[in-house]
Amino acid sequence: MMGCHDVLDRLWDFLDAEVGPAEEAAIRRHLELCSRCYPQYVFRRAQLDLMRRVRDRVTMPPASRRALLLRILEQDRAGTPKGQV
Amino acid sequence: MSEHALWSQVRKAWAMLAGPRHVVDAGRPREPPGPAPLPVPPLRAEGFADEALPWLDAVYRFSLRLTRGDEAAADDVTQETFLRAHRFWHTFERGSNAKAWLFTICRHAYLQERRRAVRAGDEAAVPFDEEHVTARNAPVSAAADANLFHERLDEEVVAAIDSLPEPFRRVLVLSDLGDLQYHEIARVIEIPIGTVRSRLFRARRLLQDRLRAYATEAGIVSPRTSERDP
Repeated sequence: MMGCHDVLDRLWDFLDAEVGPAEEAAIRRHLELCSRCYPQYVFRRAQLDLMRRVRDRVTMPPASRRALLLRILEQDRAGTPKGQV
Repeated sequence: MSEHALWSQVRKAWAMLAGPRHVVDAGRPREPPGPAPLPVPPLRAEGFADEALPWLDAVYRFSLRLTRGDEAAADDVTQETFLRAHRFWHTFERGSNAKAWLFTICRHAYLQERRRAVRAGDEAAVPFDEEHVTARNAPVSAAADANLFHERLDEEVVAAIDSLPEPFRRVLVLSDLGDLQYHEIARVIEIPIGTVRSRLFRARRLLQDRLRAYATEAGIVSPRTSERDP
């Protein structure tokens, strides 16, 4: 079983789904039982949730979106050049 | 204590020892689902509507943070990104990661715009790596129906993000607002994946510090209880 030090070191990677399946399972098992690491998991998870809430509330203004789509349609009708971006 | 109560306590203790005590959900989904396609007329650039346009809001959010909350500038960068992406759609490898490709174009479009502004002597141009706190003066759009507390909190979060030093802010935005994976971030800003990981770790720490300062100042937590994430 992984120790607290290793789990805390890899906790962000775990939350970001950047660990392999075996390590993910080991970290999950540890968090399910460890009273020291679990609050850290809850805290960091809450931080990510807060960021996602902020993220989901910001969208491109409808007028800008419409203007962009019209410009793309216009450019699309005119044809696309060759070359690198 | 009665025998029944004693056994009840023993069973409870055994359950705590034997089974999971905490609920651990997965963090970020391994492959987050992309947004739904936008309803647009058929385009000659085949696949552009289905693969590129759904990332419009994600690119706009990234632009907004690159421009530190300047909505007009973010709008320009987003428009330039998608027009450029559409022009060179034939160079995109279909089925690969359109989002990372768009973010790369967006970053280049932003950098070009900043260089142009600096060359033109635009005093409003923000140097690339200068620490800046501007979001309090330029808050991002908030949903009109959101309640006041959440709006205020969100503004503080955005201000905290914008106050981070540039290298950390960029990685944090791509990860936590852009939902890119480490290897995708490495590709977009052309740094090693280990650097992505360490900068992201540091950025989240700094963000915690800034939010903790706000929470303490607002009386949400007391200075004694606002301990740091170890």
